[in-house]
Amino acid sequence: MPDSNRSILQGTLDLLILKTLSWGPRHGYAIARWIEETTDDVMRIEEGSLYPALYRMQKRGWIKSGWGESDIGKRIRIYSLTPAGRAELRAQSAQWDVMVKAMARVLRPA
Amino acid sequence: MRQLLRSGARLFWRRSVDDEVDDELTEHIEMLVRRLELEGLSPEAAREAAARRFGDLTMVRNECRTLAHDVEEQMIRQDFWQQLRQDVAYGTRTLRRAPLYTIIAVLTLAIGIGASASIFSVVHAVLLRALPYRDADRVVAVWNAYRQGGTVSHTAIAPAEFADVMDQNRSFDAVAAISRGAANLTGSCGGSASCEPERANGYTVSPSLFTVLGTAPALGRAFTESDGAAGAEPVALLSHSVWRRRFGGDSAVIGRGITVNGRLRTIVGVMPAEVRFPDAPIGFLRDRGDIWMPNAWQNNRGEERGNQYLGFLARMRPGTSMTEVRTDLETISTRFRAAFPDRYDPSTVSWALDAIPLREQMVGDVRRPLLIVMGAVVLLMLIACANVAHLSLARGAARRQEFAVRTALGAGRMRLVRQLLTESLMLGAMSGVLGIAIAVGSTRVLVRLDPGMIPQLDATRVNGIVLVFALLATLFCALLVGVVPALRQSMVSVHDAIRAGRGAAAQPRRRVRSVLVVAEVAMALVILVGAGLLTRSFLALQKVDQGFSTGPALTFAVTLPRARYDSAARMIAFHDRLQSELASIPGVEAVSAIDPLPLGGTSWSGTFHVEGQPTARGAEAPHGEYNVALPGFIDALQLRLVTGRDFEVTDGPGAPAVAIVDESLAAQYWPGEDPLGKRISSNGDSGPWVTVIGVVRHVHRSGPKNAGEPQIYFAYRQRVQTPLSYVLRTTVDPLSIVGAVRSQVASLDRDLPVARVASMATLESAALARDRFNALIFLVFAGTALLLAAIGLYGVMAYLVAQRQAELGLRLALGGGPGDVARLVIGDGMRMALLGIVLGTVASLALGRALDQLLYGTKPTDPVTYAVIAATLALVALLASAIPALRAMKADPVDALRA
Repeated sequence: MPDSNRSILQGTLDLLILKTLSWGPRHGYAIARWIEETTDDVMRIEEGSLYPALYRMQKRGWIKSGWGESDIGKRIRIYSLTPAGRAELRAQSAQWDVMVKAMARVLRPA
Repeated sequence: MRQLLRSGARLFWRRSVDDEVDDELTEHIEMLVRRLELEGLSPEAAREAAARRFGDLTMVRNECRTLAHDVEEQMIRQDFWQQLRQDVAYGTRTLRRAPLYTIIAVLTLAIGIGASASIFSVVHAVLLRALPYRDADRVVAVWNAYRQGGTVSHTAIAPAEFADVMDQNRSFDAVAAISRGAANLTGSCGGSASCEPERANGYTVSPSLFTVLGTAPALGRAFTESDGAAGAEPVALLSHSVWRRRFGGDSAVIGRGITVNGRLRTIVGVMPAEVRFPDAPIGFLRDRGDIWMPNAWQNNRGEERGNQYLGFLARMRPGTSMTEVRTDLETISTRFRAAFPDRYDPSTVSWALDAIPLREQMVGDVRRPLLIVMGAVVLLMLIACANVAHLSLARGAARRQEFAVRTALGAGRMRLVRQLLTESLMLGAMSGVLGIAIAVGSTRVLVRLDPGMIPQLDATRVNGIVLVFALLATLFCALLVGVVPALRQSMVSVHDAIRAGRGAAAQPRRRVRSVLVVAEVAMALVILVGAGLLTRSFLALQKVDQGFSTGPALTFAVTLPRARYDSAARMIAFHDRLQSELASIPGVEAVSAIDPLPLGGTSWSGTFHVEGQPTARGAEAPHGEYNVALPGFIDALQLRLVTGRDFEVTDGPGAPAVAIVDESLAAQYWPGEDPLGKRISSNGDSGPWVTVIGVVRHVHRSGPKNAGEPQIYFAYRQRVQTPLSYVLRTTVDPLSIVGAVRSQVASLDRDLPVARVASMATLESAALARDRFNALIFLVFAGTALLLAAIGLYGVMAYLVAQRQAELGLRLALGGGPGDVARLVIGDGMRMALLGIVLGTVASLALGRALDQLLYGTKPTDPVTYAVIAATLALVALLASAIPALRAMKADPVDALRA
């Protein structure tokens, strides 16, 4: 994957994870699937970048992890949003809105 | 410790953190593979697809592991702070739930810390801080040392001796001689600054003095060699304070004139504020300098060698040791003895030149008292710590169950120890803050109480070093009272503690507490004995009959400048007029003048000869204290005239020379004879003779402590000199007539300063200031120590009674009277107290010798002091155990048994 693409994805990936977790705690695999299903596979999560992103966000204090069970009853790490993560989600969504509107104005001049 | 724990944890956790990352990634791949299989891919294809979607798994895994470790460490750190917050919150609750414990512990520690920090401030200022001179350790004072028996007296140097040492020494870079004299400052002030005539402390010094000291003027220049030469332009260096006072701190003062003792001098420099040499008493040079004038003292070598009046400072060459200096001086001394056998080789005393390091010279007098006080502070601090240790032990016992329950609920041992340490440190922090406040306050009080004899005390401040000291003291206390109980608590066996409740395992602890109480009582006794001895000594000093009245009287000094009073007739005329003018002031009963003034701080003594009793060759001539006085001095000072008469106006220049002597002189040289009409001489065995016309009681001229030598009074009119101190006995408040006195003096001589105005009572109080200071400091310590020891004793007795409630109840139930129970409890307390008193007495007797130097008329083994102190402590111990005993008597046997 080309680097330029990846960096764009990086920013959006954090936002997507935050949004996903805002619906409730999930494990890593469920996060990836949820994003794919919700975006109708438009946003294919690169699994290789999902986990580093999750750990990085833990370090920043946006999400925290606990333990739960997977579908087949195995012990698995469950991620959930922290108050700081919720605030970050609001901030990033607002930014995203501004950017989308700006892009729209550039691409489709009225 | 924490470092160790963390690295241990890292070894242990790294594995599991890595594993968790691996597990998580593996699980994800498994789930992905399962789904892909469900979508119809073959197991191999599914696995391949999954791996493709992950990209470089090793890289991803390593990145995740690194991040996971960061997260882990972050969490450990957060846990630590969170636990600390918990501990602090919990500690706050516990401390608040036991307010009495908290208040007593904090107060006790704060007093200990405050007292030690403030005394340390003084010790630091006086003993440890550098003198304000460059390489001050290389500066020494040189004296004539006379050894007789076990005592050495250091006396001043004659100009000829100074000149010889200057020429012959091999160990000094520079030498300087200093003589002191009053300096009347008049006229020529700058602008609005005060222009009153003023008497200042003047010193006539070798031009090299400030080279020897290694200090340069803050303004202008130091003296040069040529300044000291005869006929050179008269110059002067000013102290910072005179510069501020008389010239308003005007930097244009250099080159201007100042009139000193009637002579106009050019100001060449101003010394820095911290240098007013001598900055602390150096032998007989006691007052801090105001103005310095140059003189090449070595040129006065023609004077008689017996005329010794110079101070002598020298700067050692770099790398020279004190031993080398003393050897060098011994070589010179040997030459002196050979050259002047009459002067330096008398049979009764052995003479040598001696050198003393300047610092030792300046702080020597106060080192021992300060170290003694420091010792008292350490004792006080230990008592405070012992007290808090008691309290913690008692609290620990009460909290055994709490800790057992917490252990049972899963709290680790380290966690409990940390909890206890946190509580101790919280106590420590509170005590530290309060202690520093106490230190700042009491240091201020100490500085204000300064009798003015302790070098550099006025510069004492609670500074950074002292705060560090206080902090260390706090930590020491906190850890001492925290760690030991903490370790004990952590060894509590859950099972034993919960089942036994209280009582069990108290036995060894009871012994620890008894030891603490005994030690505390012993230490308190040591401090109390010190205070008692110093107080008794102070009281003894106040009872001394000083031989003159310290009733209402005003004293002041005048020094007639030779420039304007150039003949004996002029001086006598001035004093005649002043004496009669002053006598006319309402409220004045008697006026006369004398020099030196008793308690005035100056002394004058010398050899004399008795007619018909020649001094044998090589023997010492009789030595005594000299005075000159105006007629009427016996009445004004209320001396007691034993026989004969006072001086009269007729005892003038032309009349036969007369003197008055004291009883001790008369008794020593004319035992059983009538002293009136006998003759003495201050010059030699061949006269001229002075006839004794009166005998008075002996006067303690330099304070009650010092009996002094036989005394001779000369008639001023027959022996004029420039300085003289007036004494006005009054029927009104002496200070109320100061204005009238000043205007009378000014009406006779507008330029004559009125110096050292003080009431006789002030002089007396000043003479005792040092002793009052010592006694006061010790009394404060003693009071505190007594209080702390009482608190400790009470605490332990109350605790022991609580511990033995069941046993005591049983005794009551079995028919023991309340009296038996009280006797039992009080007996326990008194046993500990008495053991403490015995041990303390032994320790005091051993340490008491250190106080010997500070005591007057009181032996360090004074039985009365010991008896009173022991009785006081025993009484306090009785009270401290009586209160818990009363409570024990009221114990309900039924309650006790049920519990």
